[in-house]
Amino acid sequence: MSSSSTTIAASSSDARSGSRLFRVREITDNVESRPVSVVAAEPPSINPAASKRYYFLLMAPAILVLAFISIYPFFWMIYMSLHDVDIGKVEWNDFANFLKLPNDTRFMSGWWLLIQYSVMCLTLQIVIGVFLAVSLNGSRFEKILVTTLLMPMMMAPLVAGMVWYFLYNGTFGWYHWLLQSVGILGPKSILASSSTAMIGVVLVDVWQWTPLITLITLAGLKRVPQDQLEANMVDGASPVRNFFSVTLPNLYPVLLIAIMLRFMDNFRFIDSLLVLTGGGPGNSTKILPVYLFEVSFKFFKLGRGAAIALILLIVTIILGKLLVRVFDRQQPSKV
Amino acid sequence: MFSIRKNAVYKRINRRKFLELGGGAATALGAGSMTLGLSSLITRTPVQAASSDDAKWKQYAGSKLVFLSENTPPSFAIRDNIKAFTDLTGIEVTILTDDLPVVQQKLGIDLRSGKSDYTLGYVQDKPIGAPFGDMFADMTPMFGDATLPQDPEGYGDDAWFENFLSACGRFYDKGKIVALPYDAAVACTFYRQDLFEANSKDFEAEYGYRLEFNKDSTWKNVTDMAAFFKKAKEAGKDVPYGYAQHQGSFAWTTQLDIQRFLFANGRWMDWNIDDVYGSKEPGKTNWGDAQSILMMQKFKDLADVCHPDNLANGTLELNTVYQSGNIAMQTQYHEFAASIEDEKTSRAAGGKTAYAPCPKGDPSWITNGGEAVNGTNCGIGGIGINGNASEDLKRAAYIFAIWSVSKDNQYNVLKGLGGTPTRKSVVALPDVQAAKQRPTTMPNALTFDAVYDYGIKNPHFVLGPKIPNANEYHSILAAEMQKCLSNEQSAEDTCKTIQTQLDELNNAG
Amino acid sequence: MASRDVIQYETPFTKSLRWFSAVFIAFYMVWTVLPIFIMFMSSFKDLLEAFKLPAIGDWAGVTVFFEFTPTTKHYYELFANLGFTRYLMNSLIAAGGSAVVSVVLGSLCAYSLSRIDFRGKSDLFFWIISTRMAPVVAVMVPLYWIFRELDLVGTLPGLILAYTTFNLPFAIWILKGFFDNVPYAIEEAQMVDGATRLQAFRAILPLVAPGIGAFIVLCILFAWNDYLFAAIIGSGGAKTLPAATRELVQPQNIQWGQIMAAGTVTTLPMMFLGLVIRKYLVTGLTMGAVKE
Repeated sequence: MSSSSTTIAASSSDARSGSRLFRVREITDNVESRPVSVVAAEPPSINPAASKRYYFLLMAPAILVLAFISIYPFFWMIYMSLHDVDIGKVEWNDFANFLKLPNDTRFMSGWWLLIQYSVMCLTLQIVIGVFLAVSLNGSRFEKILVTTLLMPMMMAPLVAGMVWYFLYNGTFGWYHWLLQSVGILGPKSILASSSTAMIGVVLVDVWQWTPLITLITLAGLKRVPQDQLEANMVDGASPVRNFFSVTLPNLYPVLLIAIMLRFMDNFRFIDSLLVLTGGGPGNSTKILPVYLFEVSFKFFKLGRGAAIALILLIVTIILGKLLVRVFDRQQPSKV
Repeated sequence: MFSIRKNAVYKRINRRKFLELGGGAATALGAGSMTLGLSSLITRTPVQAASSDDAKWKQYAGSKLVFLSENTPPSFAIRDNIKAFTDLTGIEVTILTDDLPVVQQKLGIDLRSGKSDYTLGYVQDKPIGAPFGDMFADMTPMFGDATLPQDPEGYGDDAWFENFLSACGRFYDKGKIVALPYDAAVACTFYRQDLFEANSKDFEAEYGYRLEFNKDSTWKNVTDMAAFFKKAKEAGKDVPYGYAQHQGSFAWTTQLDIQRFLFANGRWMDWNIDDVYGSKEPGKTNWGDAQSILMMQKFKDLADVCHPDNLANGTLELNTVYQSGNIAMQTQYHEFAASIEDEKTSRAAGGKTAYAPCPKGDPSWITNGGEAVNGTNCGIGGIGINGNASEDLKRAAYIFAIWSVSKDNQYNVLKGLGGTPTRKSVVALPDVQAAKQRPTTMPNALTFDAVYDYGIKNPHFVLGPKIPNANEYHSILAAEMQKCLSNEQSAEDTCKTIQTQLDELNNAG
Repeated sequence: MASRDVIQYETPFTKSLRWFSAVFIAFYMVWTVLPIFIMFMSSFKDLLEAFKLPAIGDWAGVTVFFEFTPTTKHYYELFANLGFTRYLMNSLIAAGGSAVVSVVLGSLCAYSLSRIDFRGKSDLFFWIISTRMAPVVAVMVPLYWIFRELDLVGTLPGLILAYTTFNLPFAIWILKGFFDNVPYAIEEAQMVDGATRLQAFRAILPLVAPGIGAFIVLCILFAWNDYLFAAIIGSGGAKTLPAATRELVQPQNIQWGQIMAAGTVTTLPMMFLGLVIRKYLVTGLTMGAVKE
């Protein structure tokens, strides 16, 4: 993997030369100008001789709090998933919560819809986001336009959901009017049909999060080796070919991270979906987390809910492991 | 400084299990914040049967209670007027209001975890009562308790409108009453008299009968009317759609929507159970039989000529559609009349809207030999007392409960924000009787003839299945029906898959 | 920005491509801003005015969008009668509190993690980050029961702790990157000069301060925009802006004017904060993987 596309801060090792006084000043500048580089220059920052107890002590509060809010609930989740947690009783039920899941059509279709939803969101976001970034890159208005792009990301997903619900409304929604006037939709609004509701919720996610892909791509574009582009250009390569042969391969690692983050966020956040359709009509947007919400907080089948949650959690952890591996590959010294 | 004092006072039960699960360490960690959540203990002045009424009302002066309710008019009105109660009893009540799904979640979690953060809860008959009915306190022992203040009208079935007490108060057990009727939402027909009159001739030319709506109008007529308006609208005439349904994301209103349709045509029910008390083991469902398949088909035929946004519109949205003048008729809950008659928000106000009972079944659609009735259903919200609360808390809560459903209070709500009385004596008041005619100061009263004098009476009234799995039942029914209405599956397949899923749900497969 | 003094040959194809991108950018900007603009405008409209639409296909009729008498009554109603001042404070305290807790605990932890090596460190680190990735709905049920037992439900401390579930791992993960960049030699030098370990730690804090400041803001942003925790853990006593906004959907009337006003109140501060920490935003939102 090309290191030029990654986030390695090259300079911390330079700092080792020079006198102590200078060193301090140099590093101050260095850190301030690059406060966010996540890179480890491992050898100089590790304290080999330190008594570990001191550092463990500093770590302890955070670890304890995290353990309390993650490990403890996790065991409780396992406990509940193995029991029939019903009105006034908690009974061991021989893994019935899990064994019933393969026959639960809503569970299975929940997975399928989750994948469908994520693939649709991500494809649109990547295509639009990258194209937008390439178009914006180096443009005279880049700064102001990028600032504008930030706005949707700052909005609470719940508020975004409600605003879009208002826009989609078949009676007074401006977007419905627009879609109807252009002739894309009939009088039936986008959320009112099980064949279009998914598109409706995907568009909201696209609206809110495409800018993130654009920003990430813009950051990646700044690291595309210009000399290679120029050399190709001199050889007569078209900008389009240049994009596919040089730019895109260089963007690949950042985009991979973006894809994984967005994919996991689709697991995590259902606020706008709950407001827009609540999973309907006819289960057409009932992606797994929405179904899980329903099972736990509407049906109060806490045992079944915990079983689904556990499976969802395990899948997320596997995905997370993959993600961290991608991080590591880019930043060999990390962790 | 960060804490908002919650006004909950309760006995801590179910702690043992928590400790078993390793909560000891966690409790120690959280001990610092624990004190923040608790508030003062209940204060009590002992009274005897012979004590004065005032002493009985005031015996829990200084106590604090929390009531979690749906955001319906009575709760707002009572919250505005809570000082009256505090003056009377010295008890402080915090009324929290939320959207019904949220109320359901919070109450459910509260009850299920053996707590009583919400000493008083809103027992909406099926979404909350059916799954959690057992966990609310039985009020019957307190009805005759001479050391508690009592309502002069009593709490018998006669004091309320037909079936109301059973609807929200009795679950699976005839002897226990867990809630008193607090507010009611009964379905009736809202239609645009002005539009009906203007189009009557054209309609009669096409269908051979007058465009009128009355208690004998059938669902078949409704389908005709909807088709007529749709055709006219699509031909470019300046008319709205004819009819629309609630098929949005609230599964239970969707269920109620088809339930009244099914019941009207031959009094068909999902299970052969006594729906007044409900059943924990309803057995095999009737879904999948010939009548249900026919009805599903007819229901789809109706949906096809309705406003096209059926599947996105829940109760509220449907009402907005009607308010904005985009449909000529809706079957809606009578509590919505106030918003329809509000000139500031509604284009259907000012005498344009008339109210009638729900449509009747059509004899030609009935294959099961049943009767054709004006199938009318409802959501009765009760006020119930958390069964996890301590004895004294329950008694204090009882004082609030009986006050909130008293005649005077219901009358005040009706005058203020458009309440939905549950006591017969309130509607019998001369003031209220007079308000049933326009011009009126209590717009909801315009519906009272259709609702209280007709719809809720037998044989038209249907409560619907009370089963512990009510919420999942609503969800299955709504989802499968929506698939049918969006042409994803045939009526027959829909009924069969509903049958399979419901029987599996109740272990009756 | 890279210098671009290479001569680009303008072909009809590249020319049309450039035109297309210009049009696309314009279109995309409109699509991005429009919902926010409509929300903002509708918050000043009366209900019936907000519902006004031109006839289908009547493009000239778009002007009805601007035909209204602006009213601030929705805002007045929110703050005067519906208790939004309180909810705003709740949001501030919950989001700010959790951000401070997360960054304080997180920086201690991240600092230590960056200074020592031990067996299982990478596992520990992965566990930390996986708690951040866990689906909110999945952990909600057990978390609720625990919070319940501790009487944290419906209180601001409870909500702060709930937000810490995702903010703390985030802070540790990001801040470790910062401390990794500060050579141990600085502390060593300080200690040679007679400083204690703690003083040495304090001495390097200014080096990472700007980043810490930015990530406090990001933590605030994450917590502020949350709805599920606010609705379930914060219920009742600690209602935040998103939860209160959802509640404006009322049985008799959806209060669209108020909802739009509440949406504006919820969104504007975050947009402002987003601009303030613009430099760190991409890094933050990508968990530090991408840097601008």
